[in-house]
Amino acid sequence: MAGLSFDNYQRNAFLASQSHNTPKATSTGTTIVGVKFNNGVIIAADTRSTQGPIVADKNCAKLHRMAPRIWCAGAGTAADTEAVTQLVGSNLELHSLYTHREPRVVSALQMLKQHLFKYQGHIGAYLIVAGVDPTGPHLFAVQAHGSTDVGFYHSLGSGSLAAMAVLETNWKQDLTKEEAMKLASDAIQAGIWNDLGSGSNVDLCVMEVGKDAEYLRNYITPNVREPKQQSYKFKRGTTAVLREVEIEVYQEQEIDISA
Amino acid sequence: MNGIQVDINHLKKGEVSLGTSIMAVTFKDGVILGADSRTTMGSYIANRVTDKLTRVHDKIWCCRSGSAADTQAVADIVQYHLEVYTSQYGIPSTRTAASVFQSLCYENKDFLSAGIIVAGFDDKSEKGEVYSIPLGGSIHKQPYAIAGSGSAFIYGYCDKNYKPDMTKDETVEFMKHSLSQAIKWDGSSGGVIRLVVLTKSGVERLIFYPEDYENL
Amino acid sequence: MTSIGTGYDLSNSVFSPDGRNFQVEYAVKAVENGATSVGIKCDDGVVFAVEKIISSKLLVPKRNVKIQTIDRHIGCVYSGLIPDGRYLVNRGREEASNFKKLYTKPIPVSALADRISQYVQAYTLYNSVRPFGISAIIGGIDEDGSHLYMVEPSGTCWGYKGAATGKGRQAAKAELEKLFDRSTDGLSVKDAIKEAARVIYIAHEDNKEKDFELEISWCSATETNGLHKFVPENLLEEAIEYAKEQLEGYEEGDSDDEAASSDEEPATGDADGDVAME
Repeated sequence: MAGLSFDNYQRNAFLASQSHNTPKATSTGTTIVGVKFNNGVIIAADTRSTQGPIVADKNCAKLHRMAPRIWCAGAGTAADTEAVTQLVGSNLELHSLYTHREPRVVSALQMLKQHLFKYQGHIGAYLIVAGVDPTGPHLFAVQAHGSTDVGFYHSLGSGSLAAMAVLETNWKQDLTKEEAMKLASDAIQAGIWNDLGSGSNVDLCVMEVGKDAEYLRNYITPNVREPKQQSYKFKRGTTAVLREVEIEVYQEQEIDISA
Repeated sequence: MNGIQVDINHLKKGEVSLGTSIMAVTFKDGVILGADSRTTMGSYIANRVTDKLTRVHDKIWCCRSGSAADTQAVADIVQYHLEVYTSQYGIPSTRTAASVFQSLCYENKDFLSAGIIVAGFDDKSEKGEVYSIPLGGSIHKQPYAIAGSGSAFIYGYCDKNYKPDMTKDETVEFMKHSLSQAIKWDGSSGGVIRLVVLTKSGVERLIFYPEDYENL
Repeated sequence: MTSIGTGYDLSNSVFSPDGRNFQVEYAVKAVENGATSVGIKCDDGVVFAVEKIISSKLLVPKRNVKIQTIDRHIGCVYSGLIPDGRYLVNRGREEASNFKKLYTKPIPVSALADRISQYVQAYTLYNSVRPFGISAIIGGIDEDGSHLYMVEPSGTCWGYKGAATGKGRQAAKAELEKLFDRSTDGLSVKDAIKEAARVIYIAHEDNKEKDFELEISWCSATETNGLHKFVPENLLEEAIEYAKEQLEGYEEGDSDDEAASSDEEPATGDADGDVAME
């Protein structure tokens, strides 16, 4: 039969739980948040990508565009968040072309949760979905198993506890856009500074009713590398020449590469 | 499975669960559904204002407990079924809705952890009905039903204090007291108390904050 | 009625240039030669009756049952190719069972008739199948009262107060129309049994040389507790007696018409006369 087979999943998980050397799951540390404000919604993310204890990328992008005005912040397995977000984004565009309507956030949400539920958590995507559509601004959180939550603010990823602490203390009803941007970036910074899995910069995306989405890549860069005090370039001639060999050119041919 | 017995619910850990206190009570004018609002991921509260009362038809709602993903998926499918049913045969009965829930829960019992209470108001008979569908997919028609981890603490209270044909205010008070105790003694329950009242006059949502229910 | 198919009649799913499906029309022919069936809808129930031509003296009386029950509350009678009808009823039973399994409530008659007609219609679309050679009268009781439908080989499904199909349908329909004109304030199922018997006896007049047995069933909120059942022996006898009684009067009054109508369907066995039945 075509498709992925999970026949041995439970057996393997059971055997793994019995033995001492359990294979480690690739869980990528992240902090992502979403905050609603009086006329729209904001999502934000840090930019650290990790592979175990190594920082794989100091400035990666965790904010994904699913439609011009529906964006998604992803935590969990990086490959999965990227793939699922692109798949749903693509289907959303086809659906929008077919119906001659702007895509809706609830459509994106339903497509995501049905896809993730089908894979029973094996697609490790934890997402904060946000956007504006003809019915107004929306903010949702989706878990890998396919459950969804509605709320005025959300945080996800390894830094979600740090971020939630900030959100819970500073959030209030009817935030302005500027207040919401400050709150979201503060929450991400709480992750950047206090969570080992998160770090580097803050990416932000503002979706306001009646306006184009504003993607603010590296909205805050609190970890700029100091310029080096000295140049570490080696001077010409640093390497000593020990031996020289002269090779005669056997044949020469001109090739026209203009075409 | 290769002769190895595996506890499915144990292996599925790590997913979001509704360690919950839910209930639904019939009364004189209809039926009321109630729930706490806590969603947990292990020891972390993933959502403290969850809405576990879900609409599957205008006047047929359900209380969800167990896995959030599973119960949401099941409720979505039932909602779809009832929408099709309505366009083909007219308004479904609560019994019919509960029956669709049951077939999904029973036929997929090996893959689901869902404990659901279905409650609805029938405009024709002007009566409220409650059906409880616990883990295995059996179905039980009851005057009132309680479920979820918190329900263990209030069996006695509910049994002593439930009366048939209460007024709306009496029922709301009964449910507030019951869920308050469930939340108090169950660590996996908490947040606010949400109620949905289904009567002839329509659907009404009520919310009670900790300061409203903690010191009754 | 049917013109020569000129090649357009060999396959299902092919229209003739003037927009006809000959295979369906041939199926209707099979129905037109079948034994007469009628259904009557009353306020509190429905009645089915069918003429059973005794094609052999060796057949055991009362042991060859034609009317079938699809679900406890729904009955069905049909004219045409009997095995096609049995197959369709089986399908109807599946539909009824699926509905009850999912929704824990008996299938509404309208829903069942609709599902069956959709199934019948599908058999006019594909090359590998032929249409059903029957017209089925489906009726019963549900929460909205009594219902009667007739499904034809094309998949058409209409709701009726009185339905008739098979060889004697013209006479039967005329009688049913007269019946509903007369009793405008509604008929009881008990009366309908007698009338159904009478209609079958009248419809049999054109086919007098063959003996027949009468079968009647009913489904009523008041008489059968909403279940589809065969009528008790005494009521059947009573109905047959009434029918015969009425027939004598009918024969005296309409003796002129009889000669005229015998032109329409010649008694001398024509080529396609015996294709369909028994």
